[in-house]
Amino acid sequence: MDKPISTSTHNKLRLERYIRTAIGIVISAFLFWRIYNVVVLQQHFGADTWVRFGLSGLILGGMYALIAIGYTLVYGIMFMINFAHGEVMMLGAFGGYFTFEILRFIPAPTTASPDLNFLNANPFLSVLLAFVVGITISATAGFYLEKIAYRPLRNAPRLILLITAIGASTILQNLAMLLFGPQRKNVVNPDVLDRAAGWVINVGGNDVLISYTGVFSLVLSTLLMIGLFILVQRTKLGRAMRAVAQDKNTAFLMGVDVNDVVSKTFIISGALAGAAGVMWSIHMGLVNHFTGFLPGIKAFTAAVMGGIGNIPGAMLGGILLGVIEAIGPAGMGIDFQLKDVIAFSILVLVLIVRPSGILGEKLSEEKL
Amino acid sequence: MRSSALDKGLRTGVIFGIVIAIMFLIGFTVTGAGLVGKLFGVSSSYNTPPLTFFVIFMVLMGAWAGITAAARSLTEPDTLKRALTAGASAGAVSGLISAVVGFIFGTLNANAIDPRTYLPMVSPESTKLFLMNQSPLTGSLMLLGVLTVSGAAAAGLSFYLRTHDGVKSGARNITESVRKTIRSEGVARVTNSPYARYGFWLLVAALLIILPRTWGGYWNYVFGTVGIYIILGLGLNIITGWAGQLVIGYVAFFAVGAYTFALLTAPEPHNLTMNFWLALGLGVLAAGISGLLIGLPILNLRGDYLAIVTLGFAEIVRILLKSDLMTEYTAGPRGVRDIAGPTLFGRSFVSDVDFMYLIIIAVLVVTFIAYRLQNSRTGKAWYAINLDETVARATGINAFASKLLALSLSAAMAGLAGVLFASRNQFTGPDDHALMVSINVICLVIVGGIGNIPGVFLGAFALKGLPEILRETENYRLLIFGVLLIVMMRLRPEGFLPAKRPVLEKSAQTSSKEAQP
Amino acid sequence: MKRIVLFVMLVVAFVLAACGPAAATAPEVCNTELGCAVINKDQTVKIGFAGPMTGDYSQFGVDMSNAMKLAVADLGDVQGWKVEMAIEDDGGGAEGGAAVANKLVSDPTFVAMAGHAFSGATAAAMPIYEKAGIPMMSPSATNPDLTAQGSAVFNRNAFTDAEQGKGAATYLYETLGIKKLAFIHDGTDYGQGLAKVVEETFVSLGGESVAFEAITPGESDYSAPLAAVAAAEPEAIYFGGYNAEASVLVNQMEQAGLSGVIFFGGDGIYGKDFLAKVGDKGEGVYAATLVPPGTDAILAFNEAYLAAYGTEAGVLSAYTWNSYDAVGALIQAINSVAIVEGDTLYIPRAALVEAVRSMNGYQGIAGVISCQENGECNASGPVFYIVEGGEWIPAE
Repeated sequence: MDKPISTSTHNKLRLERYIRTAIGIVISAFLFWRIYNVVVLQQHFGADTWVRFGLSGLILGGMYALIAIGYTLVYGIMFMINFAHGEVMMLGAFGGYFTFEILRFIPAPTTASPDLNFLNANPFLSVLLAFVVGITISATAGFYLEKIAYRPLRNAPRLILLITAIGASTILQNLAMLLFGPQRKNVVNPDVLDRAAGWVINVGGNDVLISYTGVFSLVLSTLLMIGLFILVQRTKLGRAMRAVAQDKNTAFLMGVDVNDVVSKTFIISGALAGAAGVMWSIHMGLVNHFTGFLPGIKAFTAAVMGGIGNIPGAMLGGILLGVIEAIGPAGMGIDFQLKDVIAFSILVLVLIVRPSGILGEKLSEEKL
Repeated sequence: MRSSALDKGLRTGVIFGIVIAIMFLIGFTVTGAGLVGKLFGVSSSYNTPPLTFFVIFMVLMGAWAGITAAARSLTEPDTLKRALTAGASAGAVSGLISAVVGFIFGTLNANAIDPRTYLPMVSPESTKLFLMNQSPLTGSLMLLGVLTVSGAAAAGLSFYLRTHDGVKSGARNITESVRKTIRSEGVARVTNSPYARYGFWLLVAALLIILPRTWGGYWNYVFGTVGIYIILGLGLNIITGWAGQLVIGYVAFFAVGAYTFALLTAPEPHNLTMNFWLALGLGVLAAGISGLLIGLPILNLRGDYLAIVTLGFAEIVRILLKSDLMTEYTAGPRGVRDIAGPTLFGRSFVSDVDFMYLIIIAVLVVTFIAYRLQNSRTGKAWYAINLDETVARATGINAFASKLLALSLSAAMAGLAGVLFASRNQFTGPDDHALMVSINVICLVIVGGIGNIPGVFLGAFALKGLPEILRETENYRLLIFGVLLIVMMRLRPEGFLPAKRPVLEKSAQTSSKEAQP
Repeated sequence: MKRIVLFVMLVVAFVLAACGPAAATAPEVCNTELGCAVINKDQTVKIGFAGPMTGDYSQFGVDMSNAMKLAVADLGDVQGWKVEMAIEDDGGGAEGGAAVANKLVSDPTFVAMAGHAFSGATAAAMPIYEKAGIPMMSPSATNPDLTAQGSAVFNRNAFTDAEQGKGAATYLYETLGIKKLAFIHDGTDYGQGLAKVVEETFVSLGGESVAFEAITPGESDYSAPLAAVAAAEPEAIYFGGYNAEASVLVNQMEQAGLSGVIFFGGDGIYGKDFLAKVGDKGEGVYAATLVPPGTDAILAFNEAYLAAYGTEAGVLSAYTWNSYDAVGALIQAINSVAIVEGDTLYIPRAALVEAVRSMNGYQGIAGVISCQENGECNASGPVFYIVEGGEWIPAE
């Protein structure tokens, strides 16, 4: 906040700050009362149920985080909301789906089981292939998206970029619908990655199943996030990206190829979205043209919650949002239908207390 | 050395080839041929169109590819040979890609493999048409031939047209003479005379009075929707266009207006059946107040933080409206039915014509308010905040209060639009207030020219009127809409009608442009 | 001054053009308020359909319109004139519903409406058809309210949610002996309405409703709400909603600690698509539907559908056969009132509305259509199916 000029503005600003703080306190108090009531007094759910909520939240949160990083990377460099990012993820999910479908039709008979197919004969190779295909498609999509829809408008106001992004999102979504049909496709995993299979642990006398696909997704998204963090912090490209994010013109003068860096950023963010898409198809098992839209919006929310432009913030925001969605409704004793209400209320709350997100730095004027 | 004409032809050919292949895969080749048929007055939109129209459609695509590839280049001399090379290669490459795709699917069909499990739009009829009712090999070769020939021919023709003096000067003469007539004194005297202006407005008024009576229910519906979106656009223009605050969840205020009005006048769930005009006022007021309340905690967030918070707010409103928790009060997912229409002196006006008039009047009133605001002190304060908030503060503008006022006014206008929408449909439900409404409104404001009142009108006609007219193309409507958005933004990023700032601020405007990141 | 005179003349011309009388010579039956649809020699008779053709629920619109196109190909003949489907996208919601209705009624050769597909769009469109005298026959708009408003034009050959819900609750309580039932619905008009009816009836029969949970439609992970339902330890779950969400729920029930609990759905989940998505986990799932077991007529239709569209009938939605019948019934009604005079076909609108409402004993492929006073045309109650060995078979 800038130094207030006149006393009247000064008073207004103070009043406004008090109002904000007051609203924040009231809402937080209500939340705590509600959660205390449900969790401690009523004891509606046992420990096993809470573990289930937590697991489902963590897995979803991991995927949100991966997608959120894509938003944050692009935002950090272009200061634009890449509205089509969810659709890029959807393309990745389709890549995974089609890889599995093709591999399922390749016979790989052995003497023991004559009608074995490639998918079940080489499950790990199959999954690897699915990721390669999905990531390639999404990264390519990200690259061309930037080249066709965003680069020609680099110097236009940001609202214009938002519109082309909305246009690109509409195109990708409808193209996928027209090409592959509207119904949700069933992704058939290799048998070893059956969605209902997993480790069983005992919590409070009840069995809780931790599915292989869930653990696989969570581990993989964590690894990818660590990899990306190293890339941004330690490599030459990462340094160039940070330089462009800070000041495009100066970075250009210092010999950074800005166009190249922007292109590569889109490729990286597309690749991450593609990985998230393939994970989505493996863990959730359903893919259609609408697969990317809702996770896209959620991930963007997560990125803002964590502080947009900040990579650890996007990770934190994603995990937090997933967990809130899974635990929030039960914790407050309301319908799961209202989970988005809780998620968005917490977002507002966070932003009221910290106007630039949980880990967001104070943004300088030029970035706004 | 590789000829750059050939290079360009190949590149254009690849793009067009992929486009044609995708068109085939989504079944648009059939629809496109049907559209061509419609141009020739043969209406057969529900059957497979005749082969002739498909060939014409392909010739048009090939010609387009040829002309694009043979466009004048800055580095090379413009010769017929260059044009023909580029055109023919573009046609041939696009033809090759299409032929390969056609051949694959033709062979699949011949072997009784149905690709529709994975690609539902590739029906045997569509494939047959794509291969010109021939065997896969002959058909794909014919496709290659048609595209190559049409590409080369169109390239040659366009070269002839742009270089041949007779054609060139003829075209120039016509445009010159038209321009001269427009600028001539006689015309100027007529256009500048007060009578002409009165006449023009009289004509507009007469059209506004007569048209709703004559063009029937459907057009009243379409243009009624356009009118409602004009009001929404003018409202959003205040906060986003003038004050420069991006509000994505604008639909929330639309919903507040519509639901307040609906719940006050409908027999269910509350049976209040309030008077139309009173409920209208309350609906607008409720929306305005909701804008004020939302704005208080969040308006000093900046940029995208504000955008996402308003988006969240819109989602909260929509989910709450349909939730089990609120069903008792809002009728839940079922929506509110039998919403009242306007009454005056005991007579009720509920026909489509009456409603069209009501919407026209509302649009006029809102436009008047918008114009008054634009030139007021407040309007200038908004401009200032938009250009540079820090400087605006330094000049003594209370930025927070100004933004709050802008948001409340925006919200009130959205509320008015919501009231009209609910009342005209006699129904409103949670699905009417999905995020897509906000996105449409943002698009129409920007496409029209952000910050410009006539631009909002144009944007609303383009974005809400056109898709209705484009309903012919059913499934492809949204796809075409998306393509148009991108093409439009690349050609005219300022919108159809860019906003003009007052002259005194011209220097400020340019400096703000430089400051853009 | 001259200009003003000119201008006034122009305006007058506009008004005259607007009010000019329309010349017409038509048979006497057409001298009613609603008049006749006049179909010239080269025109076709149009029957409308509207449903979500794009977006998340587009499979319903696509499937139903596919079946209807087959119906006009098989039966589309009105005394020598061809019948054509005018298919529009209403997105399923009210805004689209009203827009499409307004567009359709502006076409003078449009005489009847085999829709809309969804209840929300239907409710918004009904007043417009009422005004224009267009009879409706919806194969899938099941909201009980629709026929409760006394509309003269709205009919449906789908059963109402109220009837289905009561049947389901009775079946659950009495036949299956369930005492503790949990409810999940998808928060749509259809799902919420159905779940509420079942809950009411089930509780009034003496059963216990242990949980009532609403979920967000369109997602692929419902493990959290399922875990919450599991904590209430129900014997069975009743789900109000469509097959997309139902298949996700069924797939995740076991992980959420609900193994051995019966999953019972409405007509929205019946269909082969559901079976493909749940695989082995679908064994023992119940659904209500009005499709009778495979008769010759149904099998012949299924074959024609597969040949024309490359997918099996009933994969995309459960309303395929009903859609075919709705169009068939409408064509029969049109045939019964249409008059040929010279080269022109006249279809009296008021008489057509009456003919559809008084339809009796039309034999379609999925059952008999006989309309009651309020527009309910499906006499048969719901039939319950269970998944056994990867197939839907009639339950005991």
